[in-house]
Amino acid sequence: KPGDLALGRQPLPKKEADLFKTVVKHYEMKKYKKGIKLADTILKKFPNHGETLAMKGLTLNCLQKREDAHALVKKGLMNDMRSHVCWHVYGLLHRSDRNYNEAIKAYKQALKIDPENLQILRDLSLLQIQMRDLDGFAVTRHTILTLKPNTKMNWLSFAMAKYLTGDLRGAVSVIDIYLGTLTPGSPELERGFESSELAMYRNFVLARIPKNHMEALDHLEACKSVVVDEGAWLKGKAHHQLQLGMHKEAKETVLAMFRRGMTEDYAVHSAYMCCVLELDPESCERALVLKGTGTVATMIPLTSEQKQKVWASHKEELRPMMARSPAAQRVPLTLLEGDEFRKAIDAYCQKSLAKGVPSLGSDLSSLYLIVKNNLFVRALDPVDVASHPTYQLIVELVDGYLESLKKITKFSPDNENEQSPSSLLWTWYLRATLHQQVGEFSEALKLTELCLEHTPTAVDVYELQGSLLKGAGDIDAAAECLDKGRELDKQDRYINNLTTKYMLQANKNDIALQRISLFTRHEGNPEQNLFDMQCTWYELELAACFARKQEWGKCLKKYAAVVKHFDDFHEDQFDFHSYCIRKVTLRAYTDVLDFEDHLWGQPFYGVAAEGIINAYLAIFDTPATAMAEAEPDYASMTPAERKKAKAQARKKKKALEKKAMSQAEEAKKKNEDDQNGNKKKVASVVDDDPNGEALLKLDPLEEAKKYAARLVKYSPKRFSTWICQYDVSIRRGKVLMALQALLKANVLDPESSEIFTRIVEFSQKYPKVEGLHSTVKEVLTSESPALLEGKSLAEYVAKTTEHVRSDSLASLPMKIAVAEANIATQSQSVPEALSLVVDTGLKGRGVSTDSCRTALQLFKKYGDEAAEAKSEWIAKVKERYPLIASFE
Amino acid sequence: TMGGGNKDLEVEFGGITADNVEQLRKLNAACFPVSYNENYYREVVKRQNDDLNKFAYWNGFVIGAVCTRVEPIPESTNNRSRLYIMTLGVLAAYRGRNVGTKLIGSILEYFESNRNVGELTTVDEIVLHVQTSNDDAIRFYTTRFGFEQGEMVENYYRRIDPPHCYVLSKKLR
Repeated sequence: KPGDLALGRQPLPKKEADLFKTVVKHYEMKKYKKGIKLADTILKKFPNHGETLAMKGLTLNCLQKREDAHALVKKGLMNDMRSHVCWHVYGLLHRSDRNYNEAIKAYKQALKIDPENLQILRDLSLLQIQMRDLDGFAVTRHTILTLKPNTKMNWLSFAMAKYLTGDLRGAVSVIDIYLGTLTPGSPELERGFESSELAMYRNFVLARIPKNHMEALDHLEACKSVVVDEGAWLKGKAHHQLQLGMHKEAKETVLAMFRRGMTEDYAVHSAYMCCVLELDPESCERALVLKGTGTVATMIPLTSEQKQKVWASHKEELRPMMARSPAAQRVPLTLLEGDEFRKAIDAYCQKSLAKGVPSLGSDLSSLYLIVKNNLFVRALDPVDVASHPTYQLIVELVDGYLESLKKITKFSPDNENEQSPSSLLWTWYLRATLHQQVGEFSEALKLTELCLEHTPTAVDVYELQGSLLKGAGDIDAAAECLDKGRELDKQDRYINNLTTKYMLQANKNDIALQRISLFTRHEGNPEQNLFDMQCTWYELELAACFARKQEWGKCLKKYAAVVKHFDDFHEDQFDFHSYCIRKVTLRAYTDVLDFEDHLWGQPFYGVAAEGIINAYLAIFDTPATAMAEAEPDYASMTPAERKKAKAQARKKKKALEKKAMSQAEEAKKKNEDDQNGNKKKVASVVDDDPNGEALLKLDPLEEAKKYAARLVKYSPKRFSTWICQYDVSIRRGKVLMALQALLKANVLDPESSEIFTRIVEFSQKYPKVEGLHSTVKEVLTSESPALLEGKSLAEYVAKTTEHVRSDSLASLPMKIAVAEANIATQSQSVPEALSLVVDTGLKGRGVSTDSCRTALQLFKKYGDEAAEAKSEWIAKVKERYPLIASFE
Repeated sequence: TMGGGNKDLEVEFGGITADNVEQLRKLNAACFPVSYNENYYREVVKRQNDDLNKFAYWNGFVIGAVCTRVEPIPESTNNRSRLYIMTLGVLAAYRGRNVGTKLIGSILEYFESNRNVGELTTVDEIVLHVQTSNDDAIRFYTTRFGFEQGEMVENYYRRIDPPHCYVLSKKLR
């Protein structure tokens, strides 16, 4: 029909059709300009040809002409809605905008027209797995496999789809059918990387089937000949055997791992203990995934008999195999008791001190274990560390070394070896870290002074001294100290970064930027470079620094940068969907998918999200602070003052404008220089909102809600998630969500002061919220008494007060919270309530210069009524922390 | 080697650069009663000669350093020159373990194996100034390396007492 050509639907004549094929080829070869030229040639004759219009649009999109591209592709599609090419192109355009749901829709339209188009099917399957439309992914992969069953990738992708949709048996049989299609003697069946990975993946899936460890174990034996990853093979075998309770056989496997050289892997030592102790499958499961130096012996408290048994076996069986293994020497420290323990730790310390191991103090601190709910946890609070027998033993030993070293340069009088001068240095250093662990900063600093007299070139000592000064409450001095240490070796990136971090914590963000810029690219804007390198730790510290300065726009801007990095991390997986299948790294691929599924549960994301939430809540609570350059309150001034203030404001504004203009010019000039200089086109990213003003204009509660919801979804086991969720919900008047958050947080950490404060706040606030639905009221009446343990608010506060008073180790933050609650509920007078903090505040847990400052804020809040308590508190804190800065 | 008692320290040598010259400052401040001016440090960094200016490292830290230079012999008429030892310092805690001996020894070894190469071809002697009261240093150079005690230069130092020094020297050819 002649009309079709005008509408752009008609097939092109031979010559133009060939041209069109070349347009596609140019696009694929990234020769965009040539492609556009040819497309224009076709369009001259057939200006409405849909597919050509679409292809031209797609090509323009690659030349950063996004808007023209969209217009052309849409026009092409409208002219030829029955073309799969147009729909495909439309999908590709959305995909490049990361608008995946729209892209999927377009691909599906294209497939309606051309259901067997492999290219479109493949593109669709990639988007489906990216979006985790797992069922859709399985269907698409099945279609592809049916169309092209002679391609390995199609089999593996379909097996993966089966696994991801939970059909584990199905995944195994897909792999088996695939293997059955191979002819005997095929290299795919021989020992090699790909066949090995496939076998190990099959085994991984088998072991995921409940109670299927026997089959998995048999399969491991069967596939042994093709497997090249022998370490993983042995680990898998030991795992299956332990799950089956085959402790003797498992031990043989573990010994084989040691013989292979896996002697420094503490997980293997942990597996060894599981075998010797014949532990149950559930404990074994946990014992095999411990991190760092963790083993069964640091996971659960073992009986003396159990420890003896492991130690005897270790001594007899492992020692001779690995006499020089550091791990084998350290493991006994977690098994021995009494005098044997003392001897072992004595030898361990002496050896490390002679060698000079800066991390010895923190290494030893992992031995301060205390029992909580039948599990071991690390003692972290100074109070708990100070009373720990292992800590006390180490202090006693180290004090002995110091005395002896000073007299006879030996660790002890009965020791044969005389020590080199650095042993004394490292022993002082260790003693200083031991002081630090219990909050004795002044004592520790005296020792680091000795260290620096002894060896003023020891960079590590400056680091320790910096962290001591920080703990002692003088972050400015700490940053200065690190800066001095940094001067010693300007090529040391570690101390340079540490200095940067301390400078940020001291609110000196300008100096911090100078320091870190020493290690960024020398051309261009360092801040931009740090963003490009996704330097998250820096951005988080900088955001926190702006938050302290209440520069909320800049603060949000930096947190938003971190959020962007995580979006990019998520996007980054796209390339792996096809790459991993092609390379048959299927086990690693499942790890990637798993990692991406939990991406927003990563701690750094949590920090950023909480930072954003708290910034928006601060803005919501005191809107005036959002405006960095808020107008002063002219109304309350005398005319003369007003005139002066306005003149000042004008002057300031002018200066700022001038500065901004000269900066812009400089940047422009620099850009030109760069472009002229190296001819390379540096993609000049101009940030048109460096101060985050756009972020300040958003609705604070809506934004906070968004991030709180993400935390709830991805970090439900994080205590602070629910604190944030509460803080946001209560401000939004969402009483039930607030209640739910409190109940969740209360399960995770019932002893936290943060939850106590909020329970009190909630109990005071929610009865006053009006206009609640009757069902909501019902739920509130039935659920909220649980928060107060069935008591009235006054009773609950009184009971907690009594509890805190009678517990000599109750934490300072808890005492602060209780004092505030007593004042808020008018249960006690201000001086009476504050006496709890003043009298016992420094005696329990949770005492740090930070919590002391929080207490000081509390006293300041109550003004004259708290004046006496305040000065008493200041005196007491200064006695405990003589170096604490600006504590008035 | 880590135990080490009062035995020799097996030090390693390393160069002095703009990035680590601050360690030389710290070392000199700990070792010497006089403070050296910026020119001295600038010269060391600029020359970047790891054979004539070097740190001694023990167990990862700088514990000593020697800085020397080739300079014309002032009274020489035929362009002869000398090796001049500007500073030799070892941190107090690490003394008595032959670190200084190794540092000076390495300078002399360097001369011996390059005596006819480059700027060393015109070098006839190795020289230093030492405060008249510094018996340990005088003994160190004379007994260990055969330096000879020469003339006394009066009021060589400005801020320390005694202000006089001896010239110690050793003929190298």
